[in-house]
This record gives sequence, structure tokens and C-alpha cells, in this order.
Amino acid sequence: MASAAAKSPTRLEVLSLFRSLLRTAHEFSDYNVREYTKRRTIDGFQSNRSLSDQQSISAAYANGKEQLAIVKRQAVIYSLYAPKVKSIMELKSV
Amino acid sequence: MASKFLASPIRRFLAKAHRPSASWPRHLSTAAAAAEAASSVYEDPDAGIVMKGVRISGRPLYLDMQATSPLDPRVLDAMLPFYTARYGNPHSRTHLYGWESDLAVESARAQVAALVNASPKEIVFTSGATECNNISIKGVMHFYRDKKRHVITTQTEHKCVLDSCRHLQQEGFDITYLKVGSDGIIDLEQLRSSIRPDTGLVSVMAVNNEIGVIQPMEEIGKICKEFNVPFHTDAAQALGKIPVDVDKWNVSLMSLSGHKVYGPKGVGALYLRRRPRIRVEPQMNGGGQERGIRSGTVPTPLVVGMGAACELAMKEMEYDHKRVSSLQERLLNGIKEKIDGVVVNGSLEKRYPGNLNISFAYVEGESLLMGLKEVAVSSGSACTSASLEPSYVLRALGVEEDMAHTSIRYGIGRFTTEEEIDRAVELTVKQVEKLREMSPLYEMVKEGIDIKSIQWAQH
Repeated sequence: MASAAAKSPTRLEVLSLFRSLLRTAHEFSDYNVREYTKRRTIDGFQSNRSLSDQQSISAAYANGKEQLAIVKRQAVIYSLYAPKVKSIMELKSV
Repeated sequence: MASKFLASPIRRFLAKAHRPSASWPRHLSTAAAAAEAASSVYEDPDAGIVMKGVRISGRPLYLDMQATSPLDPRVLDAMLPFYTARYGNPHSRTHLYGWESDLAVESARAQVAALVNASPKEIVFTSGATECNNISIKGVMHFYRDKKRHVITTQTEHKCVLDSCRHLQQEGFDITYLKVGSDGIIDLEQLRSSIRPDTGLVSVMAVNNEIGVIQPMEEIGKICKEFNVPFHTDAAQALGKIPVDVDKWNVSLMSLSGHKVYGPKGVGALYLRRRPRIRVEPQMNGGGQERGIRSGTVPTPLVVGMGAACELAMKEMEYDHKRVSSLQERLLNGIKEKIDGVVVNGSLEKRYPGNLNISFAYVEGESLLMGLKEVAVSSGSACTSASLEPSYVLRALGVEEDMAHTSIRYGIGRFTTEEEIDRAVELTVKQVEKLREMSPLYEMVKEGIDIKSIQWAQH
């Protein structure tokens, strides 16, 4: 349904999606989830760099947009229930 | 309510003034004193957490993935609509709430089935892997009780499997507990020779929760097919981590757990083969839900969560596996570089990389764990940690008592970072060195005395 109608996203759109994902990942209050989201975004975009045909690019872009919506919602929820004390990894600077 | 607002600043003032002693409750009203006495956890962004007499400055870093795994945010996102608006009972046939719930359950079933290469009709949702193991072992043997009286299992199985077998033993069935080698793998020839004409079930777990070794599932499946014996496996730790294929392994029953694959706690799934059909006697009787195998309302949000977790696991398995393997190498090499006398329990090759069970020589286990309070690890499995006995799995491996007591199990997962591994290495090495410095045994070993030749004086 999306593949027929959607045209291939421009380079700017892809970059903007990437930046939005990283920016929203930063809002997670949980250390592990925040690091995972950043890392997975970078690795995901890296591995899809070599995609050439329009259908798979549009599918990957659509998937990315869905994930962005999920990350936005979950960042809010995690911050609502964040424990008062932060993880050890965020506190001590060894 | 007002007393709670008073209690906290008052206590902070008192704690700064003098050591909290039996006298301070007199300064508070009785209600506040009761409230504070009831709560033994004290969390404060400045002072950290005080719990069970231990003070830590922040939440520990989590390296106990075999006990349970954190919920993936994408799984939580899939579950929440079913806790808020779509709260229907999937067995209600007459209205939208029931229909949409049922649709969600069926699609989750398909997601779980896809991960293990089964048909959705062969998946039954339960409350967890323990219930699945109970249904498999007791259910199968009770159904075939007239013809089959023998069960084969291993010494390193999960407690629920061993307990179900003990229950069967009390009812008069025969159980053979196969020994494992020092690498944790069973002897296939011993399995072959233990099979009798009246063997009703062979139960071998795919990935061990304590030591992480992977049993030779395909070979065991072949032997069971040859003798036409049903093969049950507890794949709770294996699901989503190594490729699980019910046809390749030739399993008839498989227990799956939700909270080991970054899903919710309280849900599991049982795979029951349809061709050839394996019959079980249900342990939960009632309205005949889940094909009569497990009656009771199917918990839609939990089941949807498990389905989402399984779908994610399928997509992310390769990525996670590569990452976890490199993290495990980093952990093991980091520790081995700094200290000696480090022994890995179980085979290093046939192992799921996210489970690293190490023993440190000349160090006492409980004190090591107490010193590692900033790292959430476990020694032995969570099920057996109540007693002081060393874990039966390590004993089955033939590990000596003193080494079994000092074993630590590191669990690495999808959300573990390199910095956490480095911090864990640093903390472990520091604590082990500190303990060894205090240990007279280590001094003697360094001087060249053989510990086993020492005559301990009787008091």
C-alpha cells in the first residue's frame, strides 16, 4: 500500500529522520534504552546505506518513521516513571 | 499524609546530627514512625539508595539477563493499547472488544510460531515456562500412564523440570537423570542406551540458564526420532538468541518464556506438535480455552507483548548475536588480562555468548558478590539462591566445592553497553584482588604450597 504511492525519500528527508531519531533518543531517562536507541539508529542507517532500489528505500524510510513515533511515545512514558536515582553509569565519572 | 512530608526532612536532620538509634523514633509522631519503620528502602537523588543495609550511589548496572530481561520499549508500546482502551476478553464472541482482542491474540500467536518455525495452531499460551514444563512432563506422562513409565532427563535441568520429575517418581514412574561432562554437554551414547521400550519422554533443555551451554539438539532429536520417543525441550533461554527450529530439532514439545526475550513477565508459550500429534493431560481445567490444554482467560496485553518481543527477536537476532559475542570476549579478556585463576564453567565453544559463568580461585563467593554491589550479577541461578548450597548444575559439572561457591554468572543482552562491560571488569578485578590480598590461602599458593595437602586442625 505504501510502496506503490510513496516516492523515494530525498537525502534531506532521510538525514532529517536520522537526526530526529537521535534527538528523541537523547530524551530517554533510562541509560540503557537511550544508548541502545542511539546505537541501533546509527547501525541501522549504516547497514541500509547501500540500498539501491526505490521500493526497499521507501520501505526502510517508512519503517524509520514508525520507529520515530514509537520512540517519541516511549520517551514520554519512561520519563513519567523514571526512578529518582540515576544509574551508576551516569553518576560516577571514573 | 502530612506526617510523611514531615518525616523525610526530620529524618535527614537527625541522620546528620547523630547515628540513627533506637531513640530517634521518639522525636516523630507515632504515625510517621510507623510509616518510616515500614519502608526499608530510602531513595534520595543525593544520597543514593539504602536497601538491606547497603548504600549505593545509583542504580546498579544490570548484567543478569538470564534471571530476566528488561522490557523492550517497542514491546511496551505494543502492549499499552490493550491496557488502556482495548481491554476486552478475547473469548467474548459478541462484541468489538472481544473481536479485536481475539485478533490481537491470534496475530501474536503467529508471531511466536514464526520464530520457531511452527504453525500458529501448535502454540498454546500459558503463564510462563514453568507452567509449560509442568504441562509437558506431568501432562504427557499422565496421558500415557498405561503404556509409558519412564522419563529421561539431565542433571542440569531447570528446577521446575527436576521437581516435576520428582513428583512423577513419587507416583511410581522411573526417571533417569543423565550425567553431563565437565563441559556441560550430555553423552549421546548414554542417552541412546538409556532409552527403554516404555520411555515416554526425553527432556533436555536447549540452553542452560546457569552455564549457558547449548546441548546438541539436532543429534538428540535424531535419536528420539529413531526410537519414536517424544522430545521435550525447555527453550526459555534459547528463544530469540539462537536459531530455534522445531522441525530441525524434531521436538514434540517446547517451553518458551516471555520475559527472557525482552517481553513481559507472566506469559509463556508451549509448542505442541500436531504431526505426529502429542497428547497431554491439562493441568488447568476450566472452560476449554487454548484447545483445552490450558483453560483460563488469555491475558491479551501479555500475549501481545510476547508476540511483539518474538517478532523483534527474529529481526534483531543476528545483530544482537554479533554484538553480544564481542561483548563477551571483551568481558572475558578484560578479566583474564588482569587476574589469573579464572575458570569458565562449561564449554566455551558450544555456548550462548550472552551467558558467562566464571569461577575465581581462592576467593569466597558471598563476599565477592557483596563487594560487587554496583553490578547486578548472580551466583548460581535465581531459583536456588535461597539455600547456601552451591548450585547443583555446577556440582553436576564436577566443579569442586570451593570453585562452585565463587562462581559468578554475567548475563549480557541487547541493552548492555561497552562502558558497562568495562566498568564490570574494573569492579570485578578490584574486588577479587582485594579479597585475594586478604586471603591466607592465596598467600600459601603463591609460596608454592599445595592447598590440598594441608591438614586442617580440628578444633
